[in-house]
Amino acid sequence: MDYIMPLIPESIQSMPLHMDFAGQKKAEKTFQLIILLFGAVGFVWGYVCQQFSQTMYILLAGVLLSCILTLPPWPMYRKNPLPWQKARPETGTGDSVANSASTGQNQQKSKKKK
Amino acid sequence: MNTFLSRLNTIFAFTLSVMAALTFCCFLTTAFNSHKSKIDIGTSKVTVKNVPDYSADRERSDLGFVVFDMSADLTPLFNWNVKQLFLYLTAEYKTADNVLNQVVLWDKIIVRGENAILNLKNANTKYYFWDYGNGLKGNENVTMSLSWNVVPNAGTLPKVMGDGRHRIQFPTEYSAGRF
Repeated sequence: MDYIMPLIPESIQSMPLHMDFAGQKKAEKTFQLIILLFGAVGFVWGYVCQQFSQTMYILLAGVLLSCILTLPPWPMYRKNPLPWQKARPETGTGDSVANSASTGQNQQKSKKKK
Repeated sequence: MNTFLSRLNTIFAFTLSVMAALTFCCFLTTAFNSHKSKIDIGTSKVTVKNVPDYSADRERSDLGFVVFDMSADLTPLFNWNVKQLFLYLTAEYKTADNVLNQVVLWDKIIVRGENAILNLKNANTKYYFWDYGNGLKGNENVTMSLSWNVVPNAGTLPKVMGDGRHRIQFPTEYSAGRF
């Protein structure tokens, strides 16, 4: 993955892939409703024309529809983002020490290479 | 549910549950059918020969020959939970050695969608009517009946005997001649 990631354009990498919690709940309810509805309609239709295969085809059509509606993280599932705290500025004391230590290690490595 | 794959997994699992429930409901709609039908069986020629049975003990055994007619309309037996019918014609009789003998004489598979109206005239048996001994000569109470297995999409595999049987009487003399 590390090898592939730089090859993907920045615009695609920055696309949001996750749903928020309210969106996940909404997506689950949506696909359950769609699949159950198509299953019930398919059962009645299959009974009417006495073909159980018709029931299965209608159910699978419902699965396809719910996949289209709930698999990709559409914007309607990202309306309630969590109120995260703002990121702290990076000029903290602890960070600067860690930074200087790591740069020191790098310098040592580069010296060894030479 | 927060990633694409976990949503795919949840939808797939839920779909399988719904499919199982629908299949069970389909079974329930046909679970209480009787699967019965009326059958007319007749015979035009009944003879018996006494020939060595090389497939068994090489003793001379009775071999019956039955030419039969049969008519039935099995179309009402089909519904959305029937894939095919397996029909088999049996002869049932009693001998001195065994209280119950059953021999399958003929069978047929009717797949759903095929013509399910039977109309056989002067049909020969598909399988040999061997007796384990000499129980056919002069036997006056051999009952022929048609039974069937209903092969479903889901559920039980009912074994049903048709309404309508026919009694055949074998002659008291062996008929001469080869096969």
